[in-house]
Amino acid sequence: MSDLTALVPGPLSLAGHRLGTPQRAGALTMVPISGPAHPGIVAPRSGLKLARVPGYGQVELRNGADTGVAIVPLHIGYVQDAAQNHALCRSALLAAGQSLLFEDAACVQESQGGLLAGRDQWFFVLPLELRARALELRGVNGYSKLWTDIADLNTRYGLARRGHLEQILSRKRPVLTQFQSRLELQPGQLGALFFVGDRFAGLEIAPDPVYFAQMWTALVCFAYGVAAWQAEPAPADPEPYEATSLAGLRAALDADRATRLAEIADRLAALPTGPVEVREEDRYLDLRLSTVTGPHLAGQIVTEGERAVYASLFAPATATGTATGGTATA
Amino acid sequence: MDTPLLLAHFETHDEPVSLPRGGTLCWDDADFHRAAHTDDPEGYALLALTPGVRPWQRARVLLQVLAASQAGLDDATRATLASLTRVLALALPPAHVITVLLALRRLRANHKHTTRAILRFVLEHPDADALIAARRPALVDCFEHALGKATARGCARRVGEGDTGSDYLQRRLLRFLAAPEHALPRVRALYAAGHPGATAPPRAALTVDLLRERPATVTATNRGDIAATLVHLYRGGPAGDLNTALDRHLGDAVGHLPPFPGTVALVLDASASMRGYGDREWAVLSQAAALRLVLAELCERLEVVEVGGDERTPRGATDLATGVLDALATDPDLVAVVSDGYENLFPGDLARVTASLPRAGITTPVVFCHALFTGSDDLTLRRPAPALPERGFWHQDDFAELLPWMFGHCAAGEPWLRAALHTRLAALDRQAARIQTRSAA
Repeated sequence: MSDLTALVPGPLSLAGHRLGTPQRAGALTMVPISGPAHPGIVAPRSGLKLARVPGYGQVELRNGADTGVAIVPLHIGYVQDAAQNHALCRSALLAAGQSLLFEDAACVQESQGGLLAGRDQWFFVLPLELRARALELRGVNGYSKLWTDIADLNTRYGLARRGHLEQILSRKRPVLTQFQSRLELQPGQLGALFFVGDRFAGLEIAPDPVYFAQMWTALVCFAYGVAAWQAEPAPADPEPYEATSLAGLRAALDADRATRLAEIADRLAALPTGPVEVREEDRYLDLRLSTVTGPHLAGQIVTEGERAVYASLFAPATATGTATGGTATA
Repeated sequence: MDTPLLLAHFETHDEPVSLPRGGTLCWDDADFHRAAHTDDPEGYALLALTPGVRPWQRARVLLQVLAASQAGLDDATRATLASLTRVLALALPPAHVITVLLALRRLRANHKHTTRAILRFVLEHPDADALIAARRPALVDCFEHALGKATARGCARRVGEGDTGSDYLQRRLLRFLAAPEHALPRVRALYAAGHPGATAPPRAALTVDLLRERPATVTATNRGDIAATLVHLYRGGPAGDLNTALDRHLGDAVGHLPPFPGTVALVLDASASMRGYGDREWAVLSQAAALRLVLAELCERLEVVEVGGDERTPRGATDLATGVLDALATDPDLVAVVSDGYENLFPGDLARVTASLPRAGITTPVVFCHALFTGSDDLTLRRPAPALPERGFWHQDDFAELLPWMFGHCAAGEPWLRAALHTRLAALDRQAARIQTRSAA
């Protein structure tokens, strides 16, 4: 299968990263990525904690690990009962024991504020449809800055026109969370390419498999699962193969699969490319956090020299809502 | 006899048989039952004891067995049918049995085995006194149909006059009964004044289907003993103690079941989703593994094709289609796919491959055993091959229904099913005899 060099922007080297066999769940195709791990990065669930929400639009995160820098996942959000839910518009690097107050967080649900205890927290990543706008609004203070976009998204999906992302994340959680089982994490997997229908949706690279495993649910269920849920194809009647023996049937299946893999490879080869703007936003020791913006790709990356440590990149056109209705080829 | 079709019908169609006043008997699937009975009277009747068969279907089997002539049947089959009649007459709600007996009257069925069954129910049921008090006119109709109106009334008159063993009574009534001394007072009661307001006991005297464990909250370890033990093994519990317990629980689970004289190829989904996560970790996989252990004990040969990872280290994606092709290559009598239903490597391939089997000349039955967390799982997105025969399971108790359903799909399963149901019938008949003895004491 094709490599990733054509897709990623200039400073990001994915040398050594390999694509695995694609999996599909409805409209969502996931191509697993394996490759060299970058040790010493604190994983989000085990090390990164939501410390408090001091006010609307303000979220304080803490790297609770004794050692290691935490990479705050791009567009991570937290949900907990009895507190307003917030999402972050940007990533960040947090040294061990460090806390950081994000004053440009976006409230994604009108509710009463309060101190958050850790037990019932769960985190998500903003749905693909909101990511481009959220990235644009990084550094902009205003807790309600995503409400209009959330309301538009709810309307588009037949839900009440409100600035409550909870209408999707919580009420549709039973169907969305099935994506974490409909797609299966591979041993050693530390990243993935996502397609919704036949369109590229995003590229996610984590520092190591543990980090990626902790992001798995948030990515497949919420970041990409929401768009895929809306584009879920109707089940098709199976068309029998022409084979007249068990061996013939196995050969027909293998040939058919090879054709479908080739189609996905063609899709990868046809990914839009072009110049992007890369702007450094944060640094910690040799790590560089940069924002990528371009007509075909946006997001944030963390690099060490030329080596990719973390990437959360998505297709802005898909993110603004033109992905639905795509049909995954059988 | 199409066992899977028959079982599916028995487990899903629970419409009552009804007798409209002045109308004809409403028995909507009579032809279906008659055809199955004609094909294999004993096999058909035994299927009524399969766990999960609906009560009104059991009532229909009782009706069919009692309505049909036994001419031409050998002694062993007649004995089986007699035993089944005794069991069903006690295992069905009494109101169902009375409907069956009244239906026999409408059908004018008056074979000797019919007469015996009617008289024993009316006069020797453990709740006969309460039933006569509550349903006297209906039971008089049954009694008079069994003996003929004149004979029935002649017997009643003689009993009323104190006759307890005349030649007349012996030849016409007593020879059908097991405990005449308790039955004769009930003949008098049948023709005595009624008891307005009396109610019939609603519940059956004998339990056929075991009461299931129904935990208020399903966890990874309250889904049966085998799975619970496996969960602790997977979590790293002490292997010595747990394996000893596992052997004991396995013995308890299969001890009463006959060996399956054939080959089952089990396609076991050992992908990451089968392991689960959080509070549900190991729950689904442990029950699938429990089924594997049970099959390994029962089957003459069990071929296991693991998909994804393996039972102890589930991982990766689910390629069920290749698993089925690998399983078919072992030349089994039956292929059973055990999966949570998340086919993701090449979704749709299982459906397409199994739809291609007839054209490829492969007649080996393939069934889909749906591994669930609870019986109320949402399966909307978890049916990779909807055309396959499919049955869910989440608790060890489900094996009682799952195994007959699985084996019933292949020819090698026919003798297994017959042997298993004979064993079940014998056990139930012993219970029925104990109940009757207690009642007569």
